[in-house]
Amino acid sequence: MPDPLLAIERLRVDFPEVVAVNDLSLALEPGDVCGLIGPNGAGKTTTMRAISGLQEFTRGSVRVGGHELAREPDELKKRLGFMPDFCPTYDQLTASEFLEHFARAFAVANRTQRIEECLELTWLTDKRNSPCEELSRGMKQRLVLAKTLLPDPQVLLLDEPASGLDPLGRIELRKILLQLHDAGKAVLISSHILSELSGFCNKAAIMERGRLVKFGTIAELGRQMGSRRMSVKWRVDTGAALEILSSSGAVKNLEAAGFGAAFDFEGEPDALDELLKTLVVQGVRVCEWRGDGDELEQIFLQSGAKELM
Amino acid sequence: MKLFENPVFLTHKRLVHRNGVLAAVLIATLIGFSLLAGLISYLTDPGAFHFSSVQEAGKTFYGWVIGVEILVLVVGGFSRVARALADDRKAGLWDSNRLTPLKPAQLIIGYWLGPALREFYMAAALAGFGLVIVLAGHLPLTLWLGTQVLIAGTALFFGLLGLLAGMAFQRSQGILIFLVFLFAYPFSFIAPSRMLTNFLLPIYGIGNLFSSRSLSETYHSNMDWNGLPEIFGVPIYPVVLSLGLQLIIGAFVWRALVRKTANPFQPLLLRWEAVALFVVLLASQHALLWDLWRGQFPMPATNSGRNYFDRETLLPVVHGGTMVIGILLLAFASPSPEHVRVESLRLGFKNPGAIFSRSAVSLALALAVVAGAALLTQVMFSLAGSFQIFCVAAVNLLEIFLVFALLLEFCRLRHRRRALGFVALWLFILCIIPFILAGVFSNQAFARISLLSPGFLALSDRNDPEWRIQFWTLLAHFGVIVLLFIGWRRQWKKLLQKAV
Repeated sequence: MPDPLLAIERLRVDFPEVVAVNDLSLALEPGDVCGLIGPNGAGKTTTMRAISGLQEFTRGSVRVGGHELAREPDELKKRLGFMPDFCPTYDQLTASEFLEHFARAFAVANRTQRIEECLELTWLTDKRNSPCEELSRGMKQRLVLAKTLLPDPQVLLLDEPASGLDPLGRIELRKILLQLHDAGKAVLISSHILSELSGFCNKAAIMERGRLVKFGTIAELGRQMGSRRMSVKWRVDTGAALEILSSSGAVKNLEAAGFGAAFDFEGEPDALDELLKTLVVQGVRVCEWRGDGDELEQIFLQSGAKELM
Repeated sequence: MKLFENPVFLTHKRLVHRNGVLAAVLIATLIGFSLLAGLISYLTDPGAFHFSSVQEAGKTFYGWVIGVEILVLVVGGFSRVARALADDRKAGLWDSNRLTPLKPAQLIIGYWLGPALREFYMAAALAGFGLVIVLAGHLPLTLWLGTQVLIAGTALFFGLLGLLAGMAFQRSQGILIFLVFLFAYPFSFIAPSRMLTNFLLPIYGIGNLFSSRSLSETYHSNMDWNGLPEIFGVPIYPVVLSLGLQLIIGAFVWRALVRKTANPFQPLLLRWEAVALFVVLLASQHALLWDLWRGQFPMPATNSGRNYFDRETLLPVVHGGTMVIGILLLAFASPSPEHVRVESLRLGFKNPGAIFSRSAVSLALALAVVAGAALLTQVMFSLAGSFQIFCVAAVNLLEIFLVFALLLEFCRLRHRRRALGFVALWLFILCIIPFILAGVFSNQAFARISLLSPGFLALSDRNDPEWRIQFWTLLAHFGVIVLLFIGWRRQWKKLLQKAV
């Protein structure tokens, strides 16, 4: 079986008063976009810095494309791109000069063309000759993302990439991440704003106090959830809808409200799909069917992860 | 990778050029031109000046050129390099560069030569005018060549030190170089051809190139700026000695920089490097002093036909320098307790023996042995009469190194971020307070109990050594070491228990 693109085994990072990352193991395959979720102080940034080699770790191993960080750090650098949660730029260089610096450092082939591609990908083409100091925070963030993408790394570590982006920038970020997913890259993306991650993550890793509380595909984690709060609305009240819902063994805490209801669903995602199908087949004109909060948010809330005190 | 393909160098070159170099080069040109004009003015109307010859006028004007060059290239270059690295570290760009496939040596070269380009241009303009002044002043071309080589070597050496400062501190680089000059300056005039500082900074080399017998007799009647320094009695060109020392120490600094770039979690100096550096510095210093006593200290020093400021004070001065260098090396090579704790977690060791081999305390013992051996070279043929002097001075160095190493680690373990303040406080109590008490109560006995005193007294106060008091003082200092050792051991044990 081939090595996963990113394999972390029993990673531990010690700080003077706290174990920042404790026994963390996870693996990402090509095309995986994994949300690293956790409250402030959970160890997300430390994990990313340890994977990239910027933070010394006490124990464990990090492998990228089969190359271990401790033994082949240079091989790792070629295959891994790290975007920190702040935007380090040479303020007096222009955007394209900044990218040129890193293109040279990574010995990128067809430098000029690749720089243009990355500028275009991050919507910065018209800012290519602007000094970095004149760029807004969001633009700088996109520029640093462009720098991270320059050498076409196999694995990307993005630490809070959307924190400074405007709504349009976030939509563009999603597009970029989907492109990376399609290109078979493995992406580990951290955030504590769950709505940022929903929609493009196929895996989630939830951290609390340095420990990995849950890790798996979104579908797997959804299945592991004890219950899920759902709400449904229909157009014409026939009474059938409430009857169907109350007769389902998986529906708990049913609360009717006008032409709709809210309930906890304790069952497999497939059973939830079946329930919707039954409603429609029985003639209920369903006009809204949704979970309260997105899926990642529900997974996170049910993981028991809390803010560090 | 060639220099002009090095992205760090190219980026800093671009930044320097973007901020403008023309004004700086014009200023340097203006200074150079003014000095050249001064010489031309003398040549056309010698009566208007007080120079006795064309050569003297040439030397004076060229002296100003190299003075400005040193200021620009060594002091300015040092600050520029240190600030560039410190700023990039603060901004996160240093880490971004470290995550590229660039080799640590390539990164170091980029930061070493890139940020100070403006200063290099200015120095080049000044050097050009200097050459014209040397030729117009009928001075030997070797004067120009020798001084320029020394200035270039020192600039590169200080560039490396600037990188070290930028890597270790976030600011205060300017203060550091000021302290270096402040430290070196007074020693320059004690015995010019004998003090190591005069060769690490090429003070003697430049002075020697400038001096002629007539000038020496006129201006330096009490000093020795003529002739060649001697290493164990063998004459050596001061330019060669300066460049050699800068090269050797620069190589150690280079290693430290490359290692720190590759893995910032390692100490700045490895233990063997600290010992080797100490050996180089002490061996050079004692070799420069060799022909004064030829191993027969405390016999009166030989004169060798030269004028010395006060040759009898040289060994106590070197003793003081040994203390300072030893303490600095211990501070640089001392491991961070947190690093040792993480290592103990990783490797699973819990015994104090493993701590001892990693701590600066064992290094203090090694440095004391080196210092003792170096001192032995001055007394080895007169041991019958100087054994007590040697023992007191050597044991005193051992005690000072041990106290510092134990104190530093104890305070780091106990007081963490406030450690340096507490180290300074305890050193003040142990070393300086006794002198203050001696002044307040007009009683020299207080001064004798200072941690610093026994060695200095043994080496300088040879007529009234009072060996019995010296012995008890050393014993009392040893008591302090035992107490510190107990506290030090307890703190390490606590840390290891936490690691478990």
